[in-house]
Amino acid sequence: MSTLSAPVAPFGQAGSGLALAWRGLRDLRILLPFALLVVIWWAIKAGSDISDSLLVSPLQAWQAFVHLTRHGVLAEYASTSLTVIGIATCISMLVGVPIGFAVGTNRYAARALEGFLRFLQSVSGIAWLPLAIIWFGFSHLTTLVIVIYSLIVPVIFNTMVGVRAIPENYSLALRSLGAGRLRLATDVYLPGALPSIVVGLRLGMGYGWRALIAAEMLVRQGGLGDLIFGARTFGQIDRIIVGMIAIGALYIIIDRLIVQPIENITVARWGLLRK
Amino acid sequence: MSTDATVATVGAAHRRTGEMFRRLLPALPFALVLIIWTGSWAIFHPNKATLPPVTDVIAAVWTRAADGELLRHILASLWRLFLGATVGVSTGILCGFVAGLYRGVSEFLNPLVVFFNAISGIVWLPLMIGWLGIGTALAVFLIWNTVFFIVFQNTVLGVQLVPEVYEQGVQSLGGNRLETIRSVILPGALPYILTGIRSGLGFGWRALIAAELVGTPDGLGQMIFAAADYHRSDIIIAGCLIIGTIAIFMDRWLLLPIERRTVERWGLLAVATEENP
Repeated sequence: MSTLSAPVAPFGQAGSGLALAWRGLRDLRILLPFALLVVIWWAIKAGSDISDSLLVSPLQAWQAFVHLTRHGVLAEYASTSLTVIGIATCISMLVGVPIGFAVGTNRYAARALEGFLRFLQSVSGIAWLPLAIIWFGFSHLTTLVIVIYSLIVPVIFNTMVGVRAIPENYSLALRSLGAGRLRLATDVYLPGALPSIVVGLRLGMGYGWRALIAAEMLVRQGGLGDLIFGARTFGQIDRIIVGMIAIGALYIIIDRLIVQPIENITVARWGLLRK
Repeated sequence: MSTDATVATVGAAHRRTGEMFRRLLPALPFALVLIIWTGSWAIFHPNKATLPPVTDVIAAVWTRAADGELLRHILASLWRLFLGATVGVSTGILCGFVAGLYRGVSEFLNPLVVFFNAISGIVWLPLMIGWLGIGTALAVFLIWNTVFFIVFQNTVLGVQLVPEVYEQGVQSLGGNRLETIRSVILPGALPYILTGIRSGLGFGWRALIAAELVGTPDGLGQMIFAAADYHRSDIIIAGCLIIGTIAIFMDRWLLLPIERRTVERWGLLAVATEENP
């Protein structure tokens, strides 16, 4: 019963860290549907004679999890994925937000680039993967380029939209008081566009994470996508399931415990412009 | 936005050129990319496998369009998207209504939805290759899986946000449960459902292309992935442009107008239609 709950535990532990009894109780209730799912999974496996190359029992998956964790395999593959998404996020924010400011503050640039950015966003990052493989080979660089592409376009787009939604009076007021461009960026554009930027970041990370997993499956240079796709070749269903749970758990941690709180804080603090 | 101070003061002819300039602005980045691409190709003469000239890409589209191969791939992809999206949208709305109407159900299911949404789509590929084999069934499953959770979550949200006053209004006029759902909750939730369908199809199209790279014998994704084996980057670039064009067409000319109309008609809940695709 605790099989599936273990890899998901990080999302439960966050609450118990707060040492609030009712939070702990709520955490347990979150695990209940998972427990039910594991019971059904186990019943299906036990009740029929599906071979291990199609579906393993929860116990086998748990053993694979213990094995992969003990040998540090899971940590290594996971850290590869996390490093790529981390670097991609930093680069996308550092490059994408200033571009978004530059485009958003200029009405002609905004009009010119809107359709182009929309088009880029429509060509999913993963579609460029074959070309990226030709250009950069089967390397981490290929994966990184694909993930940055998937991430940066929504960031630029939403930064631009956010900047354009700021009433012009704010920047006019600051300028009449003698503020320079940098001051305008830090005091008007950044706080004003932040809620929109975070929305873009979240959307981009949704695209980016999926593109990352798909790219890792084909580039085969480490990462969780490589782990589950490699396990496919050897018919190791237990490893595939462990990898899938790890992918889901990590994404939830990134999205719910890091990005969403940032979004909530920005909306609460500067969210006056949110539609 | 449209009347620039300088343009307004000058004559009508100038205004017309200004208007034309404004109209053509969106084409500028595309034109710039074309110029830089052609220019850099003329100067550096890179290996055709690395960066083909623009003419090669056009020729690649042309030859493939002429012998019907391109159309076959496009139709294969669109057919899979249609199947997967139909199943995904219908199951998503149905389950979303059940979960939205019964708060206990949605609260119980929420952790599962959050988790399975996090691994929706391409993550299932390795497991599902074993179960469904390579082909349309696999792609349809991955699209269903992607579309379902987005539509489901939006439907639940839409249903739950319908103000209870409206339901009570219909009920006090003698409407039964079914009538309440049909005349209040469905139209009230519709803007959210359509937003869900729109973003679901966006993610679904991505999932499809990713799935087709390894999981199907034909389709646009397979076309560009197979081209990589022969270092035919002209076909890859052509494929990417076609993939993007189809996605834009679907979103801007099919889904967005439907969404806008619905919001105008039933959008009393003022759903935040972001400018964001």
